[in-house]
Amino acid sequence: MDTLAYLAQGFSVAMSPTNLALALFGCVAGTMIGSLPGLGPVNGVAILIPLAFSLRLDPTSALILLSAVYYGAMYGGRISSVILNIPGDEPAIMTTLDGYPMALKGKAAEALAVSGVASFIGSTVATLGLTLFAPLLAQAAIYFGPADYFALYVLAFATIGGVSGMNPLKTLLAACIGLMLATVGLDPGTGTARYTGGMFELYDGFDPIVAIVGLFAISEMLMLMETRMGEVTIPKVGRVVPRMKDILFSLGAMIRGSCVGFIAGILPGAGASLGAVMSYSVEKRVSDKNKTFGTGDPRGVAAPEAGNNAASGAALIPMLTLGVPGSGTTAVMLAMLISFNVQPGPLLFDNQPEIVWGLIASLYIANVVLLILNIPMIGLFTRILMLPQWALMPFVLMVSFLGIFAISNSTFGLLVMIAFGVLGYILRKMEFSLIPVVLGVLLGGDMEDNLRRALSISGGDPMILVQSWISVALFALTAILLVVAFVFSDRSHRKAPDIME
Amino acid sequence: MSDRIVGLLFLGLSIWYGYTAGSYEASFGDPLGPAAFPQIISVPAALVSLGLILRPDPDPTWSRGVVALRQIGALVLFVAYAVLLIPLGFGLSTFLGVMLFAMLIGASWLKGALAGIIMAPALFILFDVLLGLPLPLAPSL
Amino acid sequence: MTIARLASIALVGAAAAMGGLAIATPAHATDCIAPSDPGGGWDFTCRTVGRLLTETGIIDSPVQTTNVSGGTGAVAYARVASSRASDEDLLVATSSVAITQIAQGKYPGGTDMMRWLAMLGADVGVIVVPADSDLKTLDDFLDAIRENPSSMTVGGSSAAGGWDHLRLLMLTEEAGIEPDAYKGIRWVNFNSGSPAVTQMLGGQVRAVVTDIGEIGGFVQSGDIRILVAMSDEPIPAFSDAPTTASLGYEMTGYNWRGFYVGGDVSDEAYEKWVADLKALYDTPEWKEAAEANGLIPIWRGGEEFNAYVDEQAEQTEAISREIGVIK
Repeated sequence: MDTLAYLAQGFSVAMSPTNLALALFGCVAGTMIGSLPGLGPVNGVAILIPLAFSLRLDPTSALILLSAVYYGAMYGGRISSVILNIPGDEPAIMTTLDGYPMALKGKAAEALAVSGVASFIGSTVATLGLTLFAPLLAQAAIYFGPADYFALYVLAFATIGGVSGMNPLKTLLAACIGLMLATVGLDPGTGTARYTGGMFELYDGFDPIVAIVGLFAISEMLMLMETRMGEVTIPKVGRVVPRMKDILFSLGAMIRGSCVGFIAGILPGAGASLGAVMSYSVEKRVSDKNKTFGTGDPRGVAAPEAGNNAASGAALIPMLTLGVPGSGTTAVMLAMLISFNVQPGPLLFDNQPEIVWGLIASLYIANVVLLILNIPMIGLFTRILMLPQWALMPFVLMVSFLGIFAISNSTFGLLVMIAFGVLGYILRKMEFSLIPVVLGVLLGGDMEDNLRRALSISGGDPMILVQSWISVALFALTAILLVVAFVFSDRSHRKAPDIME
Repeated sequence: MSDRIVGLLFLGLSIWYGYTAGSYEASFGDPLGPAAFPQIISVPAALVSLGLILRPDPDPTWSRGVVALRQIGALVLFVAYAVLLIPLGFGLSTFLGVMLFAMLIGASWLKGALAGIIMAPALFILFDVLLGLPLPLAPSL
Repeated sequence: MTIARLASIALVGAAAAMGGLAIATPAHATDCIAPSDPGGGWDFTCRTVGRLLTETGIIDSPVQTTNVSGGTGAVAYARVASSRASDEDLLVATSSVAITQIAQGKYPGGTDMMRWLAMLGADVGVIVVPADSDLKTLDDFLDAIRENPSSMTVGGSSAAGGWDHLRLLMLTEEAGIEPDAYKGIRWVNFNSGSPAVTQMLGGQVRAVVTDIGEIGGFVQSGDIRILVAMSDEPIPAFSDAPTTASLGYEMTGYNWRGFYVGGDVSDEAYEKWVADLKALYDTPEWKEAAEANGLIPIWRGGEEFNAYVDEQAEQTEAISREIGVIK
């Protein structure tokens, strides 16, 4: 009953003209960004953060805008996956496996229709789950002490290990790089300057937003130079009308994908990527009797698409209740909330319910809007793929530069961003995933803080780390996950097309 | 080979990173202090780098020729834009930045100039006027 | 299409762009530097004060806020000192946090590099405990420290050696506890006040020292109690809570918000700013804006404020040396 009352309150927040307009704008912008090759939700949210700051939105509105972009980009991501075989980000990789073959067979419209409906079901499951479980988890979260948080961060880094199907050594190294970068600056515990080379500009450490825009947007610009112009041919897309027969055929896959994705998404760390990969693998094991997966089976589009949308929504749960993001994109949103002086965590639900419930309500609205945008109006977005790059990319580039310039008003911030761009480019070329780097930069500080807080409380006795049942349970879960990851890592995912190609 | 080079690079980096951490000390504060966490990270970082040296993946195809030149050109452009934004002022540097970048990704002179002419004022209005984020307008040489 | 023609198109375009832009910017704007990202505390100080200064007609020209983040204000400090030390149209937002950083040598210079204008308001430091805590009064709290300092785990929103930690130690010192004893208090740092209070309610720490602004809601809801407010006057919203003054301790733990200007600004311009800010302070609009953001309007301005800043820096430096933050 409480939940319903809160939800009603949330709808009154979400239906305010400003917030409604922001949600609509976010849906369109998100779908647009998501549909661009190589640009996914992380980029979308990263590009729009400066906008959220500069519009001087209050935290609720900013969060609504970015979440709409997030959901929108998850929908839009499937467009370039299906039509161009270029996923916007990791979770969308699995959609290319059967989506692109369908497009090649002249069934691009069917693939887009099925995946659109799958996205809707996945997101709806996730939003319902968010409504039901987030308040419960928030109540439990108050019992999380520093030692439990530390265990949670360990779990977060464990989940990214078996995710992307990329070389696990490289994923681990990427996480280490992120963690190392996170230690630059004044140590939060004692104020000691670490790895700053005496530069005051580095005393606050690397601004995660600068790092993220550099890693994704700037490296994408360098990647862009490698595609030869006019090389991309776009298959014809007819009218996209979902047919009952198609939908019913893949309905099971959608529901299974949603559930698997949701569960994976709640895990802190890289839950969203994990959700897409697992939902595809599970569906393949359940349904692939005739070995049609990988050759254009609609169920192979439906499952991962439902899965990654469900996981993305679910990833908001740990972000809001514990302040530990469940995906790369929610990590970016967390960075934004913190710079708005909003501290996600159990108290957010008590102190600022309008933020949480306004967000949840606007997600319901966004989801319906997105279904409409992405089935009947999809022609609009496939046409964006035909916009000349020379008009589009300089704009994206400049928004990145000016957005970062507006934060720091310094050449230094821009140079740091470019340096992260080069790092991102090299890592992507060498098939490192960038998500662990971002998670490292973002969570490294909190991970260290919580470890040190725990030991401050115990006066240095390390046994405090395993004294609560929460931390013991989390460590156990980490161990189970690692074992499962090894079992699952038959390396079949490595055939997934590379984002960069 | 690329993996080996990167592995070696990161191995060196992790060792330096862990070693440098040893010099951070505080005579007060928490029991763990500022050195411990970096030292803890440096261990798996070094081990993983070593693993990369021993079991490298096949090389990616690095860009060559014109593509590589264009990428270097883009980097030079990025750095130049960052450095010159304040001295040259927003209008001129953004016009040039947009035009040159458009040309680097294959547009003609004319298209590049067109993009620059439209985008520089549009961006200024977007950021400075509408969003209230002051941009350095005039050249300040 | 000749090169010359293209070049002329480009030039005309550039000129048009510049021309269009020039109209858009108002002349002679006052700059307010907020040494933080948009959305932070200093950003609020600049934007609110800047807006109110124009709205109330105290100054004619608009005030535009520029964010220069980095080094908890050190980057802005260095930039003002090096290139805008005599700029009379420039305000820089600052607060107690900056003084702590200066006193501990984390800024590129001392407080004498700048001219300190005024504080317009302050957040008040408080010591809070859970509502059901066995620590009923400040004396209980201090006695517990006297008995066994390491049994007292205290959370706050700053690093060990930061302002929250230091003002706790200043109070214990004022209460006659020896440095050797108060150094034993277990300090646990959190990013801000709310998580610290959450963790206290979850039983992780026994007390929290932080600003009242962010955590007032918990006091109102009855989850936590204020043992002492580190101020001269009671906090308006919680006038029942004892203050350090009412308990007879000569210390305050304000986290004030104010402004400085460059060190080479003329006396006239300095006095003019102080007068303008005082005029703003006296408006009901400022009181309203301050209270809406958890601040108590408190005025200290001009040379009196300069002296206050110097004294706070000295005090901070002394206690930092005592506990070993600076060697």
